[in-house]
Amino acid sequence: MKAETRNAAAAAAVLLALCAVPFLAGKFTIYLAMRIMLLGIFAVGYNLLLGRTGLLSFGHGAFYAAGAYGLGLFGVHVSTHPLLGVAAGVVTAVLLALLVGTLCVRHTEIYFAMLTLACGMMAFSFFWNAREITGGDDGLIGILRAPVSLFGGIKMPIGKDGQFYFFVLFFFVLSVWAVHRIRQSPFGLALAGIRENARRSEFAGVPVRRYRLAVFVLSGAFAGLAGSLEALLESNARPFMAHWTHSAEPVLVSLLGGMSSLAGPLVGGAIFVGMREIVPRSTENWMLWFGIVLLVIILGFRGGVVGTLSALFRKAVAPGEG
Amino acid sequence: MREPLLTTEKLSNHFGRVCTALDLDLRFEPGVLTSIIGPNGAGKSTLINLLTGHLPVQAGKIRFRGRDITRLPIHKRVRMGICRSFQVVNVFPELTVAQNVMIPVLARTGRAWNPIRRLSRETAVLREAEAILTKVALLAERDTPATALSHGDLRLLEVGVALAAAPTLLFLDEPTAGMNPVERVRLLENIRQLAREGRTTFVVVEHDMDVVFSLSERIIVLHRGEILCDGTPAQVRADAKVREVYLGDDVSDLFRYEEK
Amino acid sequence: MQSYVHVILAGLSSGMFIWLVASGLTLIFGVLGVLNFAHGSFYMLGAYCSFTVLKYLGAGFWTGLLLGPLAVCVAGFVVERFFLRHVYRLALPYQLLLTFAFVLIFDNLVKIVWGGGALSPPSLSFLGGSVPILGRNFPVYNLFIIAVGPAVALLLWALLEKTWYGRIVRASSSDREMAASLGVRVPALFTGVFVFGTWLGALGGGLAVPYVGLLTPGMGETIIIEAFIVAVIGGLGSLKGAFVGALVIGVLSAFGTRFFPAFDMALTFILMGGVLLWRPQGLFGATQ
Repeated sequence: MKAETRNAAAAAAVLLALCAVPFLAGKFTIYLAMRIMLLGIFAVGYNLLLGRTGLLSFGHGAFYAAGAYGLGLFGVHVSTHPLLGVAAGVVTAVLLALLVGTLCVRHTEIYFAMLTLACGMMAFSFFWNAREITGGDDGLIGILRAPVSLFGGIKMPIGKDGQFYFFVLFFFVLSVWAVHRIRQSPFGLALAGIRENARRSEFAGVPVRRYRLAVFVLSGAFAGLAGSLEALLESNARPFMAHWTHSAEPVLVSLLGGMSSLAGPLVGGAIFVGMREIVPRSTENWMLWFGIVLLVIILGFRGGVVGTLSALFRKAVAPGEG
Repeated sequence: MREPLLTTEKLSNHFGRVCTALDLDLRFEPGVLTSIIGPNGAGKSTLINLLTGHLPVQAGKIRFRGRDITRLPIHKRVRMGICRSFQVVNVFPELTVAQNVMIPVLARTGRAWNPIRRLSRETAVLREAEAILTKVALLAERDTPATALSHGDLRLLEVGVALAAAPTLLFLDEPTAGMNPVERVRLLENIRQLAREGRTTFVVVEHDMDVVFSLSERIIVLHRGEILCDGTPAQVRADAKVREVYLGDDVSDLFRYEEK
Repeated sequence: MQSYVHVILAGLSSGMFIWLVASGLTLIFGVLGVLNFAHGSFYMLGAYCSFTVLKYLGAGFWTGLLLGPLAVCVAGFVVERFFLRHVYRLALPYQLLLTFAFVLIFDNLVKIVWGGGALSPPSLSFLGGSVPILGRNFPVYNLFIIAVGPAVALLLWALLEKTWYGRIVRASSSDREMAASLGVRVPALFTGVFVFGTWLGALGGGLAVPYVGLLTPGMGETIIIEAFIVAVIGGLGSLKGAFVGALVIGVLSAFGTRFFPAFDMALTFILMGGVLLWRPQGLFGATQ
């Protein structure tokens, strides 16, 4: 079976399983699946920046938070329509990413990482300190899940988790599909070229800085989408979303799952959320185990879970090659 | 005299106290295959770096078709038609040969911003990429990742990526470095052929005198950042200063090759 | 006037802790080329180990200060020799994430060994108490810290500029391959520099025990960010820059906490952003 057909079949199977969850599983599993999808959207968009273009940002939590607060404040002051709220969240995130990106992309490597870290923490301190607007360290509470009004007067309720699940699933599928198309596009190839050899890309006529800004903003948009969805899920927006330890999550998760594939960040996200929820039942220090897992991956399995499994599969299928 | 492609006025550069380019006044005519030679440290790579935008100009001017490009960023010079290949292989390692060559084509045809269209549907771009690969005899390797190529094939790819930008003026920095004689002859024949097609003017930096004297219509000799001699191969061979600089090195080689 | 002087003094003392952590960070970055996220953890471990010596071995403050950081050096040795060594040739994300993994590991190990709650150290006998400065009391210990900072700076300067070993370290940091071909055993040198950097960070932690009054596992996380900012503002790899940066940030933060409590966190980040926009390589860094 060709690789593409195999991947499409796997994707279809996963999609089917995801659709079945609300009907077959309990409340907690439904919630867990939604958290995995949110982290998946955050990470898969972020990996366009890290895995595809080779830029390490430690500040993307700021855009996640911007999405959450954007939706929350829009809901409080303008309208509680969920789709408009999500749009407001994404737009807020995009604007912030444009500002931060313009300041940061002229720098490389370490300085870029440090600057994005600083920008993220500046956003964090803003959300923490601007009590009147953002609710300070209590966060923005009371975000409602109003029904989604579509054309023809149809109103889809999303109040219950089982209903909201499909709202999240919709955006998850949309995001994964979008990132898939981007990876296969001329834009995606240009990004890969920049990762492989930025200098040579310039000499190929590619305006590298503009591309870096574009993918920075794009990944910020996905972060904002995930953030606004979390605000609806948890009914609040918290400053912690912008903290650098939260910004580290898509990085860790992409490494864990594998930075060079589309599925990598998604698989990594599932493992991360799974570990966070299940491991604490036997031991208090799941982060310790996670740290050890990270070490193992960095030292021996840099392709991540997906990369290592693919390599093993290829060797099994064609032992003489590769 | 035809309008020159590229001219420089008093181009100068130094690293600290070392002068790498001194008051260079050059003209590059379209269609004239030029070689730049000189001992190590003469400033050959620096000159290419300055002309292509890799190194910022400290003093002097560069004009391309009359337009001042002294401060123009690299990718804009490439769009105007000035390109280069590198002395040390500088391609996109994990990408396939075809992808390597597609990037400059996409950038040039303005099709590199589309985030939705499938690459496999860009038939015009794919065909152009294949044409370039045929020119450098790498079509068979189109799906091989660059890291898996032999050194000789890597150097071909190096030139191929530079050609893919469809430059009017192409600087090749020691294109045959590290190649065995068979590969070298093959690449030179390719360059000679492409030069004859007339769309690209080649300027080649070389150490190897075989290459220089069998290929070029014009030779520029650099020494310590200054132009020692600039003329036809016969003129350069006869020049006393050149013989002095190369004394003890390849003097005999200079006489070994007949003019084309 | 009095409050300004006190704020400046407070800023200088907190800045010195940042300097101690940043000095190790800068040294490690300058020579090994790696930005060590786990340096805050070494600071924390230094505090916890010194505290343990004080509390459970019943020893004096100076013994704690001597033995605690040495114990942490063992951890530093293990990290470099068995883990970090393998990632030098890899891309930046892997290096940062490796050191970040150690942050997770050390933070949680501390929680397991010492418990997750806060610990209060016994109070000091001879460096305790305060002296009146301009009419208000200022802790003697803080004055001591303000003296220790430049002492360490002087020590580092002397080591790097005046000793044979220091010359080798400086040569290896500017050209690793050249140093190796001249016979320098670069891997051993790297381990040595990393362990020394660890010691500096842990020393900062040991010195922090009487200053902070309360030890928590999270104490490493705040100071590593401040140390990063200081290192970046000063210019990555420049010890002089780290020293100046630490003083500036310390004093600025103190003013922020005292007079603009709403913005205190943001001030340091705004300063960093400002410096980098004006001079991308930091105040004393080499041009890229």
